[in-house]
Amino acid sequence: MVCIGRLFGFKKEVIFIKRYEPQHEEILSAGIDIGTSTTKLVISKFSLMNMAGGMHTPRIEIINKEVLYRSPIYRTPLLSTTSINISEVVTVVQREYAKAGIKPKTIKTGAVIITGETATKQNAQEMVHHLSNQAGDFLVATAGPDLEGIIAAKGSGAFEYSKKSGKVIANIDIGGGTANVAVYKSGKLLGTCTLHIGGRLIEFVGSKIKSISPPVRELFQQWRVQVKEGDQRRDSIIKGLTEYMATVIARMLNRQLLKTDKPLLLGHEPNWQEDIDEIMFSGGVSECLYRYENGSPVTSHYDDIGEILAASLRESKELSQWTWVKPNETVRATVLGAGTQTTEISGATIQVDSSQLPLRNLPVYQVPFGHDLQVGLKKLPAAVLHAVDVYDSQQEGQNFALYLTEIPYLGFREIQQLAAAILESVKVKPNGEQPLVIVLESDHAKVLGQTIKVQNSKQNIICIDQIRVENGDYIDIGHLLQTNVVPVVIKTLTFHH
Amino acid sequence: MNPELIEKVTKLIVEKLQSANESEKHVTGTSDIPSSVVKFWDHTSNGKPKNTNHPPITESNVKEKDIGGLIQFGEYGPASPKHDLTESVVLTSSQIENPSNPEELQELIAKTPSRIGVGRAGLRPKTDTWLKFRFDHAAAVDAVYGDVKEELLNRLGLFKVSTRVSDKEVYIRRPDYGRKLSDETKQLISEKCSKEPTVQIIISDGLSSSAIEENAEDVYLSLQQSLQSLGIDVGTPFYIEKGRVAVMDDVGELLQPKVVVLLIGERPGLVSAESLSAYLCYMPRRGTIEADRMVISNIHKGGIPPVEAGAYIGTVIQKILKYEASGVSLVQKES
Repeated sequence: MVCIGRLFGFKKEVIFIKRYEPQHEEILSAGIDIGTSTTKLVISKFSLMNMAGGMHTPRIEIINKEVLYRSPIYRTPLLSTTSINISEVVTVVQREYAKAGIKPKTIKTGAVIITGETATKQNAQEMVHHLSNQAGDFLVATAGPDLEGIIAAKGSGAFEYSKKSGKVIANIDIGGGTANVAVYKSGKLLGTCTLHIGGRLIEFVGSKIKSISPPVRELFQQWRVQVKEGDQRRDSIIKGLTEYMATVIARMLNRQLLKTDKPLLLGHEPNWQEDIDEIMFSGGVSECLYRYENGSPVTSHYDDIGEILAASLRESKELSQWTWVKPNETVRATVLGAGTQTTEISGATIQVDSSQLPLRNLPVYQVPFGHDLQVGLKKLPAAVLHAVDVYDSQQEGQNFALYLTEIPYLGFREIQQLAAAILESVKVKPNGEQPLVIVLESDHAKVLGQTIKVQNSKQNIICIDQIRVENGDYIDIGHLLQTNVVPVVIKTLTFHH
Repeated sequence: MNPELIEKVTKLIVEKLQSANESEKHVTGTSDIPSSVVKFWDHTSNGKPKNTNHPPITESNVKEKDIGGLIQFGEYGPASPKHDLTESVVLTSSQIENPSNPEELQELIAKTPSRIGVGRAGLRPKTDTWLKFRFDHAAAVDAVYGDVKEELLNRLGLFKVSTRVSDKEVYIRRPDYGRKLSDETKQLISEKCSKEPTVQIIISDGLSSSAIEENAEDVYLSLQQSLQSLGIDVGTPFYIEKGRVAVMDDVGELLQPKVVVLLIGERPGLVSAESLSAYLCYMPRRGTIEADRMVISNIHKGGIPPVEAGAYIGTVIQKILKYEASGVSLVQKES
């Protein structure tokens, strides 16, 4: 509301416009993707700037994202079929940081994502947490097939495309182990689905079959086809399998999966309601389709069904009913998404005890006020009690963030009431030393945080605003930046219908 | 004419028009925009109706005892029935019939408080758009010609002084008079106010008495709390009737504060008639140039929330004190 229609002709007494570089800052973000067959890393630079002008309270936004460094695509190092070679991954990451000329300490935000079948390895969790601590001060660990699809759709350009075109677009990211689908319309997530479809579900050594992944084995059983590890590869069977995979993808997009397709479904059924207009392929198999990377063809050093699967996709009649949109990124979609699309910036008028940051993996508990303060105040004690019950049932001190929404217009006295009510309610938390984390939808964080601090100076408080999350999301809050904002990574898994 | 009557009549007509529209839409089955709730601030509320009604002032359950640094509310009278414009007149989200892309239109409308997507009747705006426009215009005029009620000043413990103008017409025509304190005023504040405080807060109606009525209290209390928690001492605040921004120079000469904060009503527009500005200046004196003043504007329900603005102004004052400069000088020293 910079421009307000003025009623009178005379000029305002003083207009002070900052004719200088507005407050700005640059931060580094890293994305690391450890997938079924490949591991890669990107470093990017975010430019933050105050977009509000000197007469307003500051509003810091990410105005530019520049990718500084893309690592080569590495084979994911494994110790055995069930465990990742952690030290080798760390070595790769350290070497790539050195090549990019970046020290882990200078990384302010970003995400490590472990994707596809790698996520099912025994030491997967240990791996991501180890790496997120090693590779940057505030690097967030994420996993989960839904999130993977969402991040890939942002990295491939499908998300942006849906915003621009208003169309319903499905991004299908096919890597080594899984195909992660996220459906967007006008920038809104409609749903996700994940299938056991990928280039590495069958591996070869020379002309022999080296390994068959369990879902495919189940399929072969269902079809009564006798194929086992160590057999000679038979192209008719392999081709039959990849053609079948292409039709399953088409059925999934139409939300018409058959019972017999179930071995390939990972997690829930397709959960969007809209008909899909256009599709986009990303991931390693998409690289086989589009060949964006320089150098030799992918299959030559992968020895799996990726190339054959890509051919089946290209030839599929079922998949040709949709318009195919070319992705901006193929094999690097997920890592770019992780490195550049996961961070949000809080409001600039906030109250945080910087010594308490960063905070990781805070579950969000939402308390809707229903646009009536008194209703909200009454709800608070029970809500906090319930939140403790849900997230800290063992009373071990797992912290959580209170997300207060639908707050009506608040005057100073109402802020005092709200602060007092919050302080009273959180007494039930088993560990009072913990910072009190409050996330507000409306622009009230500074005054509420300050008021809580005045009412109880011993209370550690992180009070931030203008972040949209949902009940059940997990958030990570990074260090306070020079521009007085904090980076926030939301691990959202919800849909907006 | 009595402003409340105007408000009532406008409301009646607009509601009638809309209910007529509604039923028509239901018959044709084209209504996909819920327009039963009438609200001003469509753009602030992501589609959900927000209750912008300022609830009546009630005693807070915060104890009135002196608990380390808590703001004392003092004696405030019974809840004043504020006449709340935001709830009374309605502007529906969109009045374009059969828009080809309703979602996109809704998004555009949500981005601005301007009167876009209001449809038309032939070459002219629709009747309810026009009435709304006239109503906003009237509210703006009222804001300029109205006076701040004594009750608010008493509640905040402010005494009232005046500039060299007593008449609103003169005030509008002679801005220079509004920048000077009258002789009685000078004497009064010399007697009543503490000298050389770190921060001197003053409030003035300026061109919008509604801005003060609606927002000054929240900004003022929140600012006081903010300054207290930062450990910055505050002088004796007061209210200047019919003041202009540069009236702070006279106050600076008399009381010699380090920083003056002037909360003053902004010239009303058609979007809001109750927008407040906070002007800040490091050691304003006679001859202070405008470039050394700074402003945080657009403080009202649909803009920067008053309570948040108060908390933010505290940190700006802290910065001014640190660099011993304000405005352009502050920017130069900072970089």
